[in-house]
Amino acid sequence: MPRKRNLMRADRLGYVVGGVALIVWALRRPGLLRAGVGGLGGWLLYQAYTGSNPMFKPLGIHVNPQPAQPHIAETLVVEEAVTIARPREEVYAFWQRSENLPLAAEGEVELTREAAGEELAWRTMRAEKLMHFGSLTLRDAPGRRGTIVMARLEYVPAGGSLGAVLARVTGRSPQRLVADCLRRARALLETGEAPTTTGQPAGRR
Amino acid sequence: MVKGDILGHEFMGEVVELGAAVINLKRGERVVVPFPIACGNCFFCQKAMFSLCENSNPNAGMAEKLWGYSPCGIYGYSHLLGGYAGGQAEYVRVPFADVGPLRVPDSLSDEQVLFLSDILPTGYMAAENCDIQPGDTIAVWGCGPVGQFAIASAQLLGADRVIAIDRFPERLRLAAMKLGAETIDYSEDNVLEALKELTGGRGPDACIDAVGMEAHAYHDIAYAYDRMKQAMLLESDRPVALREAIMACRSGGTISVAGVYGGLIDKFPAGALMNRSLTIRTGQTHVQRYMRLLLARIEKGEIDPSFIITHRMKLDEAPAAYRMFRDKQDDCIKVVLTP
Repeated sequence: MPRKRNLMRADRLGYVVGGVALIVWALRRPGLLRAGVGGLGGWLLYQAYTGSNPMFKPLGIHVNPQPAQPHIAETLVVEEAVTIARPREEVYAFWQRSENLPLAAEGEVELTREAAGEELAWRTMRAEKLMHFGSLTLRDAPGRRGTIVMARLEYVPAGGSLGAVLARVTGRSPQRLVADCLRRARALLETGEAPTTTGQPAGRR
Repeated sequence: MVKGDILGHEFMGEVVELGAAVINLKRGERVVVPFPIACGNCFFCQKAMFSLCENSNPNAGMAEKLWGYSPCGIYGYSHLLGGYAGGQAEYVRVPFADVGPLRVPDSLSDEQVLFLSDILPTGYMAAENCDIQPGDTIAVWGCGPVGQFAIASAQLLGADRVIAIDRFPERLRLAAMKLGAETIDYSEDNVLEALKELTGGRGPDACIDAVGMEAHAYHDIAYAYDRMKQAMLLESDRPVALREAIMACRSGGTISVAGVYGGLIDKFPAGALMNRSLTIRTGQTHVQRYMRLLLARIEKGEIDPSFIITHRMKLDEAPAAYRMFRDKQDDCIKVVLTP
């Protein structure tokens, strides 16, 4: 069964260049090194050929080849969800304040769609450049447990999907930022505060 | 942990300042603070599973990576659980103070109520998780402070016999003399054989692991294997007591895990667990659920938790106290630090 393409188009060229470079380098090395590095180069070429990196799925990296925004060829997609033990109208009102939206601090937020109590969509611009766009969908949690908020955010990663892999591994990914934003919202809505340890004392100098 | 972190998750003290929303406490009141930080409003707090509070761990993203989802924040503990400054200090900040801290009556001394902050409820929850029936025999691995309270709690909850397992004579002595438990010294005896014999060939009805990830063992090949894998960073925890508790438990029984585990373990006897219908129950203690109930038991004289204290020291002697506890010098079981 052919694997689903998950490399970004820009990445594929990088994989070809990297794979060829590794193989050329390996040709002049002794046996074991030649086999190892050459094999790695071959693997990169194979991924470029299939357009699929098997590490992306476990790392949670998803490419959208047809984003619903003009002039953008493809994006990476972040999806996170949270259940908040508050009524839907209250949760919706919280998100209507654009400073509460995920990654809002990265630019100017424009709301692009508002369906009261159900959905909010927005995009974030910085100096005429589209940083990311996203949506929040709200629905009632089963058993009167409050509101489920589904967040979807799309962006063009700096450094292609390799950059996204690095961000994911170091814990600085948009995925993490969106999840943290949803958690903060839950804490604020459920308790009126978002606990922090910033500024607490320590025995460090 | 990071160098300079303020330790201490079992503490009590006097209220000196209050946030605007804390209307149930007053300045000057003496309170015991539960170690799990809990908001009181979330799904888990509403179900009285306070140590699973969804709103108190600012580093929840870190915990999710390792554990799938995040439990609550904890004072003076791993940064996975928030890295909150702890109570081994003259002042401590207590978030959600309208939910956690318990006011204690003047009739009881600090030492009688201090352990409501963690280890008494922890031992109690470990025993409660055993679902003790009349006639039951409970085996407890580890006779440190939590193990001692697990033994005492199993007795309070109606266990017929409690068998205590450790290797330090002072701990076994305390379990036997103070609490009347039967004892097994695992540095001398084969625990599985001894338990089988003591329980008429059937095994204890429930087993409490009050040891956790830093277990020790003697003449045990699996232990040498764990040490080796830990040295190579291939395994984070040494589950010697947990494995033994699973193998020892009678069929259909319960293994109650109070000892702390952090990461991954090897050679887990899943076959014994499945084929013999065993149940594992565990968790960081939902302290807030047990504090009032246990305070009432202390007031009625059913238990005086101060019996485990062997040393009283000043806060600035803490490094020496930690060394003494680690090296098990001077029959040290529990140190209480005061500013």
